[in-house]
This record gives sequence, structure tokens and C-alpha cells, in this order.
Amino acid sequence: MEIIPVIQVSDLRYRYHDGTEALRGIGFDVQPGECVALLGPNGSGKSTLLLHLNGILPEKAASHESIRMFGQTLNPDNVWQVRRRVGLLFQDPDDQLFCQTVEEDVAFGPQQLGLTPEQVSQRVVTSLEQVHLSGFEQRATHHLSHGEKRRVCLAGVLACEPELLVLDEPTSDLDPRGRREFKALLRQIPATKLIATHDLELAVELCSRAIVLDRGEIVADGPTRELLNDEALMLAHGLERPHILRHVHPH
Amino acid sequence: MHIPDGFIDGKTAGVTTALAVVGVGIALRQLKRTLPPRKAPLLGLSAAFLFAAQMVNFPVAAGTSGHLIGGILVAALLGPAAGAVVVTAVLIVQCFLFADGGVLALGANVFNMAILGAGGGFVVLRGLQRLLPGQAGAITAVAFAAWCSVVFAAAGCAGQLAWSDTVHWRAAFPAMTVTHMIIGIGEGLISALVVWFVRRTRPEMILQDSQPAPLREVLIFGSLATIGLVVFVAPFASPLPDGLERVALQLGFEHRATAFAAPIPDYEMPGMSWAVGATALAGVIGAFLVFAMAWALGRVLVPSAAASERTK
Amino acid sequence: MSARLLTHHHGIPRSPIHRAPVGWKLLAGLAVITTTVLVPPHWTGWYATAGTLLVLAIAISRLPLLFLLKRLLLLSPFVLGVALVNAWEPTGRMRWEILALRSVICLVTVILIANTTPFSRTLQVLRTVRVPELLVTTIALMHRYLFVLAEEAERMRRARSSRTFTASRRFQWKTLSTVLGQLFIRASERAERIYDAMCARGWK
Repeated sequence: MEIIPVIQVSDLRYRYHDGTEALRGIGFDVQPGECVALLGPNGSGKSTLLLHLNGILPEKAASHESIRMFGQTLNPDNVWQVRRRVGLLFQDPDDQLFCQTVEEDVAFGPQQLGLTPEQVSQRVVTSLEQVHLSGFEQRATHHLSHGEKRRVCLAGVLACEPELLVLDEPTSDLDPRGRREFKALLRQIPATKLIATHDLELAVELCSRAIVLDRGEIVADGPTRELLNDEALMLAHGLERPHILRHVHPH
Repeated sequence: MHIPDGFIDGKTAGVTTALAVVGVGIALRQLKRTLPPRKAPLLGLSAAFLFAAQMVNFPVAAGTSGHLIGGILVAALLGPAAGAVVVTAVLIVQCFLFADGGVLALGANVFNMAILGAGGGFVVLRGLQRLLPGQAGAITAVAFAAWCSVVFAAAGCAGQLAWSDTVHWRAAFPAMTVTHMIIGIGEGLISALVVWFVRRTRPEMILQDSQPAPLREVLIFGSLATIGLVVFVAPFASPLPDGLERVALQLGFEHRATAFAAPIPDYEMPGMSWAVGATALAGVIGAFLVFAMAWALGRVLVPSAAASERTK
Repeated sequence: MSARLLTHHHGIPRSPIHRAPVGWKLLAGLAVITTTVLVPPHWTGWYATAGTLLVLAIAISRLPLLFLLKRLLLLSPFVLGVALVNAWEPTGRMRWEILALRSVICLVTVILIANTTPFSRTLQVLRTVRVPELLVTTIALMHRYLFVLAEEAERMRRARSSRTFTASRRFQWKTLSTVLGQLFIRASERAERIYDAMCARGWK
């Protein structure tokens, strides 16, 4: 049986309102089970690209030949099914955590899926366990620490049991311990993952493959260690060779 | 001017709550029809914005930013229905969370600030926008309309206090309106400055321009504001209540009439005592002065080359 | 003005008052307030009863007294204003002391209930009594984001003051306009991202 790629992007283009080109002909595939890092300097178009993967962009939902998710082109009819299978974690947890309590927020996704109240409850409990926040159900969302907010957002996404997890800068603004904990959580999640990040150590530790985006174009796509060891490439695109690789002897 | 509980009586609370429910209901229906779904969270965020704006301490504003009502600020950016609903949300949260404004008085506070203030002020805004040309005119309109909104709300508040027999009209009206004519200057200035900033940097965020308020909206909010003035201000300003009382006397109903007529039987004829008359005069002079200041503000903020450009 | 007293005390102490069902608490509070406003002014019996009940409730819920007193100060402008005006021209309906007493009772009731009830439960009650969804959502989002925006505003103001080397008023007004203008713009952008986040999790 042919394996259908989870993501198939070919020649994707996008312009902002003011006319600047955000994406200039992007093309790549992601296979089931892969963990891919999306790297690139600020303004390279990473977030814009991610928003295309569940149909939030382009704003005028049209049939988009450039993107196939789970083998289907995105169109206004099937975009809802695609969203059930794609868990998108936004860059600012405050944007995503819009309910009053943790329980309400994690329950939001399952409720939209049409599950019964018992099923919703079960999903809430399970996802909070997965992110090590059991017992946080009644906590008010605006009183959480930054790391807790990120974990609740992750729980909210996991509660929908997505096949593809798309994360936009998941460890930014986290202190070292927060980062370690979050990376450990991500490691345990079996879904296919696409992670946009500045955290190059996370890329090395979790992702076998990396795609480098710069000014709306893909400039590199290959094994993470190989790419990140290429100092010239890194510096040319606003990145750098991470410390974790500097003391590793190439095998 | 958040009226606490106990300052207005049962009948006043009842009437104001009914009027508030009707007014806000109309505004909500309007929004459901015209507000794009993508902008729906903007109402809540604007309410949070107003509250946050009240919290930041700007020494130069001498405390007026802490009293910002913001009805016209929001109406100028998002339309009158949004202005009314956003102010209502702020008042509800202030009442429940901080006891700023009474629970039974919530209807009165909503009516004063969201309907009389934002709605009545919006009528002024729309009128001035049509009369005054260009970018400078738009700023002048916002500044003056915001000032008006505060004064309207204060007048309504005074009327309700008098109707409840808590304070004499001839004391409440001057006290409330004169103090708020001064506080209103801050509101006008801040509203104008914020709207000016947004127009300059991100004009596409302004919904009000893209959907010019149809005459119907102006009429709706104008009528609600007028009803408010008729119920709470006019009876005290006109000689009719004394006339009503004379009729009631003749018909033998005087003791029952006091529940509805102006509660001040010892008014000297011909009707308005000097304090109220002087206040009304001060109001007219004040309005001229504030308008002149608003005009100057418009000229100062908008460089003269662009001043007479027609607003887009 | 209330904005400065933003410390909303949730009261982690799990007293019986905290745990009482929200619907009943709100009804009880409403009943106390309505009665207080509607009783004839001279019914001192009611004030004594209500006062005792409230003192008991405060003791049980362990609401911090200082916090309560600070909120009571919110009343003072109105009470003082009315007292002054009525000293000059008495209405004869109610002495200002009675007025103050009634408003204190009502205010304490509200503070007691607000601070022993999670806001999310209050919102649920509003939904149950058929308050229009658009208004409830607006209130909910306002409550959720007011702390976020307040912090943003404070950060921006501090950043601006750090770069202000002149006491010129004109510059300070410029700061005000920039901070508040930017705050609104950021709030608008955030509102759209929130909508996107809702759609991402299946909202129609």
C-alpha cells in the first residue's frame, strides 16, 4: 500500500496585504512519523507557512492546489476534517488559551469534535496527565505561569488526538528547565511533528530532518545534524551552529 | 460616575434597567448582523483595552485616563453598536468584580454611559463628521463627541439621582454636569489622540469607515438618547411638572402623583432656579469652548497640507 | 478608577462560602441588595440583620479586611458628594448616614460574592439566564485578557518613560497617544489570532 505523505506542499506562494511576498514557491513533503524542524531567521515566513497547513491561510478559502494534507487538497468543504487531524500550537500561548479555566480550554477542542460530555471529560483528564498538569482543571488561565500556559495549550491540542502536530516556536520564552520539560513531553508524543523553532538544540535532539527557510524560500532540506554542522549555511541564513554539535565528534 | 447601590430608588432602577436592556439588545442585534465573525473577539479585546487603558498612570493626564469611559473612542473605530456593547461589558465586569457601580444601579450606569453617552455622543460624531471636512475635521469630531458623551451621561445620572429623591435636581444637575464638563476634556483629548494614532498607522483596522453608519443606526441611537433625556432631564427642566401637580391637586390625586412627578413641590415659579439656569448657560459656553479646543487639536495633529483632504 | 485596585482576591481558603453553589449565592446577594434598596429608610432592624449576616459571612470566608476597606473607599466620592449637597439643601427623604449605610451593605455583599466565586461559574450562570451569547463572550474575553493587556500597557509605558529625557508635556501626550494607540492595535491583532486559534480547534 502506498504511503500517503502527511504534508505535500508544491510551489506555495503567499503575499501579505501590503504586497510583500511572504512565501515564494515553497515545496516539500512530510511523511507519517517524521519529526521535521523548520528553521530560519525572523521574518522568513515560518509562521505564515504553518497557518497554511490547516487552512487558516489564505483568508479567502479557495481550492488550493499547492497544498495537500493527508492526500487531499484543501478546500472550504474538507478544511474542517483536516483541522481535526492537525494540531496547531500557536506561538503565543495567550492567543490560544482563551477560556477562563484550564478545564474549559482543554475541553474546547473535544467539544467542537462533537464528543459526549463523558468523552470530553476523559480527554481532558488524559491530556492533562500527558503534560504533567493533572489536577489543574479548575485553575484560572490568566493566573498560570508561562510554562504552564504552554503545557495547557499542548494539552488542548492533544485532546483532539491529532495525527499531525504543528508547533510554532514551542520553547521560546521558556526557562531552561521549562525547555527541558517541554522537549521531554514532545519526545513522548507519537504523532508526526513539524516544529518551527529557533531552539537549535531542540532541533538536533528531536528532529531527524530540518528545513531551512529564508525570505520565503527553502534554502536547505536534509538531515538535521548535517545541515546544522554546515557553519557557512547556518551563518548565511541568520542561524548558527549550535553548541551541542560543536563538541560532538562526527561519526 | 458609577452610581453605587442605594442612591437610586426602585422605580428609577427599574426604568433605567428596562431602557438599558432594550438599548443594548438593539446594539447586539446590530452587531450580529454587521460584524464579521473574524472580528467578534475584538469586542472583548476592546473592552479589555479600555480597562487596561484606565490602569496605566499617565501623569500628564492628571487622572482623567483613569476615568476613561471610551464609548466614543470605540464607536469611532468600530461603530456605535460596538461602542455601546463594549462599554456595557466594561461596566458589568467593573460592577461584579470590583463593586464599582451598584448591581441594581447597573441598568442606570449602562444607560448613562453606553446609551446616552456612546449612543448620544455618536449622533454628534456622525453629524460633525459630515459637517467638518478632512482629516482635521475627523479628529475634531471625535474630540467633541467624546466630550459630549461624558456630559450627556452626567446629565442622565443627575436626573436619576433627582428622580430618586436622593439629591435635589437643582443641586445634582450643576454638580454633575459642571464637574464632568471638565473631566470630559480628558476623555475628548484621549479619544482623539488614540483614534488619530490608529488612523495614521493602521487605518484598515477602523471598521467604522468601511461600513459607514446608515441613517437608520443614527436614528436608533438618537431616539434612545432622546428618550433618556425626556425621561430623566426634561421633567426637571420644564414647567410641566408644576402644571401636572396643579391638575393632580384639582383632581384630588396629589398624594399619589408624587411618585411620578418631579419631587420638588417647593420650586419657586416660574420654574428654573438660578443654579440650574446658570449651569445650562455654562454648558452652552463650555460647549463652544470645547469645540474651539477640539478644532485646534485637529489642526495641531494634522499637518495643514493634509488637513483639508477629504476623509477616505 | 477601580482599575488601580486590580488585586482581585480569589481566596484559596476553601470556606463553606467559597463552596456554596453559585446560583444560590448570586440569588442571595441579589435578594440582600434589593431588600436594602427597597426597604423604607427608617427600618433599622433590616440594617442590623443584614450587617450581622455579612460580618458572619466575612468571618467564615476569611476575606481580608484591609482589602475590603480599600474597596469601600470607592464609595466615598459619591457619599461625600451627596452629603455635601444635602447639607446645603436637604431633600428630606434620607439622611446621608442612612444612604451611606445602605450602600456599604450592598457593596460588601457584592465584594463577598465576587471574591468567593470563580468568574467562570458566574459566566455560566449568565448563560443559563439567557444573556445573549455575544455579550457573554465579550465579557469572558474581557476578563481573560485584561491582565494581559494591562501588563503590555505597563511595559510599553515603562519603555517609553525610560527613553523620555524631557519633562515636556507635549512629549508626554505623545507618549500617551502612542502607548494607547499601540495597545489598541495589538489588541486588534490579538483578537484575530484568537479567532484563528478558535478555528484551528474546530470552531465554526
